Amino acid sequence: MKIIRHSIAALMLLLLIPVAQAAGPSYALQVDGLACPFCAYGIEKKLSSIKGVEDTRVNIKTGEVIVVMGEGVPLSEELARRKVKEAGFTLRAFSRRSGGDARAPE
Amino acid sequence: MPPNSYRVILTKAVAGAGLPANGPGRNHMAVRGQARSYGGIFCLIGSVAIGAGNAWSAPITFNTALPVAKNEFLVREQFIVNRSSDDPGPLNRDRTAKVAVSVLGYGVNGKLALFGVLPYRDNELKLRVSGQRVSRSASGFGDLTVFGRYTVVQQDQPGRNFRIAPFAGVKAPTGDDNKRDALGVLPPSVQVGSGSWDPLLGVVSTYQTLDYQLDGQLSYQLNTEANNFEAGDVVRLDGSLQYRLWPRTLGGGVPAFVYGVMEANLIHQQKNRFNGNKNPDSGGTRLFLTPGIQYVTRRWIGEAAVQVPVLQELNGDALENDYIARVSVRFNF
Repeated sequence: MKIIRHSIAALMLLLLIPVAQAAGPSYALQVDGLACPFCAYGIEKKLSSIKGVEDTRVNIKTGEVIVVMGEGVPLSEELARRKVKEAGFTLRAFSRRSGGDARAPE
Repeated sequence: MPPNSYRVILTKAVAGAGLPANGPGRNHMAVRGQARSYGGIFCLIGSVAIGAGNAWSAPITFNTALPVAKNEFLVREQFIVNRSSDDPGPLNRDRTAKVAVSVLGYGVNGKLALFGVLPYRDNELKLRVSGQRVSRSASGFGDLTVFGRYTVVQQDQPGRNFRIAPFAGVKAPTGDDNKRDALGVLPPSVQVGSGSWDPLLGVVSTYQTLDYQLDGQLSYQLNTEANNFEAGDVVRLDGSLQYRLWPRTLGGGVPAFVYGVMEANLIHQQKNRFNGNKNPDSGGTRLFLTPGIQYVTRRWIGEAAVQVPVLQELNGDALENDYIARVSVRFNF
């Protein structure tokens, strides 16, 4: 019985590996001026138009936008700043999150 | 108008029922004669809103300075019912204007946005002429308004922003201004188009936080002559407060907001002209208070408001507004 449980656990771990590998670097963008849900969508769209972006998640309360890139695809601060500006807002801070963490911001 | 209900036309209506006419000019002149015989048949029919050109979390009855993202489109559909039935004169006039306003916004870049506003109108004027109740009506696409708005001041801070954006454009005579019924050519207040090119300009400002938003707008529309009729120029001052009612406490992500809205619209129109002569029974000043509500999500906004006239200082024998009701939806593409 124990062998079966260990086998199932090992199988599940194997299944998770490709998912984990698919998550590339993620970046935290602090966007100034963001204050309503309808405006948040414009920022999401502009950032999502960047080649290699797999996901964007906005926290309107903190003004933080998490951008998740594909594996091995970096995001430059210059490009992020330009896209935020095209959405009509201002990029205050840009940082790479450690470990490719793709969790949504709190 | 704005953007979205972008302006209000205070049209001095010509109650021309029962008069034969071969063209707009003749009809208007004949109506002038009848107006004199009735001791003031002309009436200030009321506001016909041309739809808001705005498409953000924003005021319901006028524009905002919030941005349209580069190469992105916003769409708004607003439905307006404008009732005017309190007639101080003997004609017992009753006017209903129903308008469906389509607004398309396009972001050229983060600061410059272009807008197109196209109304579909259904106008009806009922009045008593020679002891008989008559009804005159018209429906169809109205005049297209196009304008650009450029942000000259932008101050972004965490969770808030402040913007000032002048705008300028023109209302083009795309709507039919020569509609007729069995009684002849319809008066300007019933026509769906004006026939005139009318430039407009103004400035809008927005202060937005996570809890509330303030907007203010000053605009001027220069109305020009067509068919021997020239509506008076319109200047208006608008203000809006949108306050977040729900959620009371913000969590993570992007939750939908419910805003309580209170707006004020101060609108002044100069006197209309027929054949170059001022109509003493046209133009005036109105002040509306407009309570409303908005439900704002990432992709769409639903909203409703009622403009209640609290002050109507109109010239001559004018027909006052009862109310203007608005329901609209906006979409992010």
